[in-house]
Amino acid sequence: MLKGLLLFLCMTTAQAEPWPDAHWQRAPDTLDWQAVDAYAFPSRTGAGRDGVRTDALLIVRDGRIVHERYAAPTTASTAHLTWSVSKSVLATVLGVAYGQGRFHLQDPLARFYPAMAAHPDVRMVDLLHWASGLQWQEDYEFAPLKSSVVAMLYTRGRSDMAAYTASHEAAAPAGQQFVYSSGDSNLLAAGLRGMLGAAQYPDYPWQALFTPLGIDSAVWERDAAGTFVGSSYLYLTARDLARIGLLMLRDGRWHGRQLLPADWVAFNRTPFANARREPGEPSPGGHWWLNQPDADGQRPWPSAPAGTYAALGHWGQALYVVPEQNLVIVRYADDRDASYRHDALLKRVLAALAGAGE
Amino acid sequence: MKRVAWLLVVALCGWAWSERQALGDFPGILAAYSAKEYCSCRFVMGFTPEYCGAYVKQWLPLSHLQESTLQRQITAEGLGQRAQARWQGPRAGCRLLP
Repeated sequence: MLKGLLLFLCMTTAQAEPWPDAHWQRAPDTLDWQAVDAYAFPSRTGAGRDGVRTDALLIVRDGRIVHERYAAPTTASTAHLTWSVSKSVLATVLGVAYGQGRFHLQDPLARFYPAMAAHPDVRMVDLLHWASGLQWQEDYEFAPLKSSVVAMLYTRGRSDMAAYTASHEAAAPAGQQFVYSSGDSNLLAAGLRGMLGAAQYPDYPWQALFTPLGIDSAVWERDAAGTFVGSSYLYLTARDLARIGLLMLRDGRWHGRQLLPADWVAFNRTPFANARREPGEPSPGGHWWLNQPDADGQRPWPSAPAGTYAALGHWGQALYVVPEQNLVIVRYADDRDASYRHDALLKRVLAALAGAGE
Repeated sequence: MKRVAWLLVVALCGWAWSERQALGDFPGILAAYSAKEYCSCRFVMGFTPEYCGAYVKQWLPLSHLQESTLQRQITAEGLGQRAQARWQGPRAGCRLLP
């Protein structure tokens, strides 16, 4: 009797797992989002650009939209710049290639990208951990003079960003230390081209990932060499980025199909052992950011469960996945200062969801 | 006093020499950044010229920003440097021209 009941419950749960088709399903709007909206969408007064400036907030629980809000001019149909969220999506595209047996984590990048012949010890896994060891200075507008990423995107690196990165000297042995580098991500984008060939490469993110997920808003800019700017220049609607989040939440499954190997998602979510902990900062995993507790048990986002992970980008772009809560959150923004706090948003979202049973 | 001033000049020259590549690149950043990100703001994200003008605004002013709507091409000038970005297609967005 009990066994039968359990089986019945399992079956109904399985059937009730909603997937977005062309559109997302919406959950009945019964929750109070006032505190979330007050934090994320304070009124933008005057000509200044200070404070929290959210462009889009989309909250998906159990595969259904529970809250969605935009600030003009961004709308549900705006393909918004994701900045470094692109890196984690690039890793997801690479995950499909990994599942197709196109590379192993231990493969040297030079196998797929000959310009790395001078750095034969740099493996795919090292680049996914941002641990190539190549000299790099990741700073944006605050230190443009010394910034490798500004030089890569706008001046001497812009025509071939991977080649620019590969021309840097090794500052440390590969795989030994985490140094956040947009150059490492663009080396991965160049490696992907080497695995696929020039004919297959331009359509691959669509063919491998976007089309199977029903994503139709994607724009991915390339450098003059034709390599995707995997570090920075992917644009998606908030709803389309949430599809990537849902794929991750469900360990690489999309409807009945294992699009990403589950061990790939597990790799994305495993902290890089050689990364030095920075207080309050998320830990690097396999090209995703983890809410990993430090030695004292402190999590960078204390209000969120330890399993929380995210793709994060400049000016406040974020895709959060909270497996413990079956939750995906997309936030797009135009934050020009450091007022916004990941934990402040996560705390309010989780509190609003917890209010469901009251 | 004079000696200190000379030492400062020598130190400054030494620093400028050691950073000559970065210093040489610096004036080009403003025009290239503005042209590229304005192009994407307009033709990828689909926002208005007014919004995109404010979106790319930096603490150093541009001397010129021109949109050629028909060709979807942006020309920006600042710090004596000029850069152009052009829309490449629906999936490829914008790119700086060489």
